[in-house]
Amino acid sequence: MNTRRRHGPRSSEDGVYTGPSQTQYQLVQPLESSPAVAVPLPTPVDTSSMSCRDRTSEFQSVCKSLQGRQNGAHTIRPVNSAVRQRSDFTLVAKQIGRDLSNTFAKLEKLTILAKRKSLFDDKAAEIDELTYIVKQDINNLNKQIAQLQELVRSKNSQNSRHLQTHSNTIVVSLQSKLASMSSDFKSVLEVRTENLKQQKSRQEQFSQSSASTSSFQDSSFNNSVLMQDSSGKADISINMDLHSSQQMQLINKKDSFIQDRANTMQNIETTIVELGSIFQQLAHMVKEQEETVHRIDANVEDTQLNVDLAHSEILKYFQSVSNNRWLLIKIFLILIIFFFIFVVFLS
Amino acid sequence: MKLYSLSVLHKGSTKANLLKAAYDLSSFSFFQRSSVQEFMTFTSALIVERSSLGSRASVKEQEYLCHVYIRNDNLGGVVIADNEYPSRVCFTLLDKVLDEFSRQVNSIDWPSGSPATIQYTALESYLAKYQNPREADAMSKVQAELDETKIILHNTMESLLERGEKLDDLVQKSEHLGNQSKAFYKTARKQNSCCEVM
Repeated sequence: MNTRRRHGPRSSEDGVYTGPSQTQYQLVQPLESSPAVAVPLPTPVDTSSMSCRDRTSEFQSVCKSLQGRQNGAHTIRPVNSAVRQRSDFTLVAKQIGRDLSNTFAKLEKLTILAKRKSLFDDKAAEIDELTYIVKQDINNLNKQIAQLQELVRSKNSQNSRHLQTHSNTIVVSLQSKLASMSSDFKSVLEVRTENLKQQKSRQEQFSQSSASTSSFQDSSFNNSVLMQDSSGKADISINMDLHSSQQMQLINKKDSFIQDRANTMQNIETTIVELGSIFQQLAHMVKEQEETVHRIDANVEDTQLNVDLAHSEILKYFQSVSNNRWLLIKIFLILIIFFFIFVVFLS
Repeated sequence: MKLYSLSVLHKGSTKANLLKAAYDLSSFSFFQRSSVQEFMTFTSALIVERSSLGSRASVKEQEYLCHVYIRNDNLGGVVIADNEYPSRVCFTLLDKVLDEFSRQVNSIDWPSGSPATIQYTALESYLAKYQNPREADAMSKVQAELDETKIILHNTMESLLERGEKLDDLVQKSEHLGNQSKAFYKTARKQNSCCEVM
């Protein structure tokens, strides 16, 4: 039996058994021993809102093959009664799962909105609305999960051990998801209050200084101390006659000075981070080249070995050549033969 | 990028009082120097009078920029620089100078002081030091050093790549060498075994 593991679920849709994947394989095992166990087959799944793969058909084929292997021509018991019994449980659980994923999405949006730290672009109304909606959703989900738990407990006596474990596990996983979402929600709210405090302090800072420079500036600037214009500087030209009527332009740069410094610091930070990454790449490349160096090493050693052996072979040959007494006799023989041939044929 | 003058003034209720000033007039011709200095003093006083407490501002005049910072305790500083000098460095300089000044010189002397009576000598040195904004300002220095390091690292990366290529070359050559030596060995062995005749 192949024990492929199903991927971890991202939503707890109960159409497919995404939660307790381990218990499924345990369910298949007892098929061999007690085919009377009703394998709870899932109801037809609404695949439009799922975020994980549906491998029900594979599962069913595996079950069939196992049963066929074990019991020859044993037919699969009709399990419709079990399906009908559990269908409402699965429906409710599916509903809860869908609601949970929706609320998750809303929570993510809320997180993004709450993290914005811009002084002027605050969407307070939206954030409050979203917070209220998310809170309502969490409460609803809580109630639904409590109901589901009641349902499970009431049906516990009728179902088999596996079904009980299964239903309990599903309820527990839904509850844990809800708990994690509530803690995320809480942290988002904390971030939001933190940001609000910071904004308030900054606004106070700006509003104080703007009030003091109001003698220079237009009344419009006075009215919009917290003006939505994010450029925040009022360009005002003042004509002053000095010596020979020079023109001066007064630019209120208080905001830009602070922003300047902030920008510079950010630049420095990015540069440092880049440097860090460059160093890492450097180290990586050196490590890669180390392998090449090893290869060169091995090749050169190989070469040395071969040359040594060849050297010894040639030495042996040389020794054999120089010590071969047979060789002398052979040479003389050849000389004499040649001599004879020469002499005989010439005379 | 040059600084022309650095002055500390006290902003009274009606007029500004020059407490101490330092000038760097080397870029002007000799005959203009006194008039330029007077002009700068006058401009600084005027700007301080016109600016409000607790503000920073930059005034552009012909090709010079006057950066003014007035603290909440009526102490103000003016830096006259050229157009390219980064304003952030100017304001940092003013912050530092005013801090030190307020520590060294008693605040009682401020409303009534004049350059002759005030004992504060660091202005000249600051002016000289900040002529080069890169070196004087901590953040600019860090930035400049980081950029340098980045360039050096880029060069290193390139050399590393070249080294990689050379290593590849070496691998091939050593492989070739190995093969040749093997052939050499085989030939030598053949020498020994097959020619038993001689």
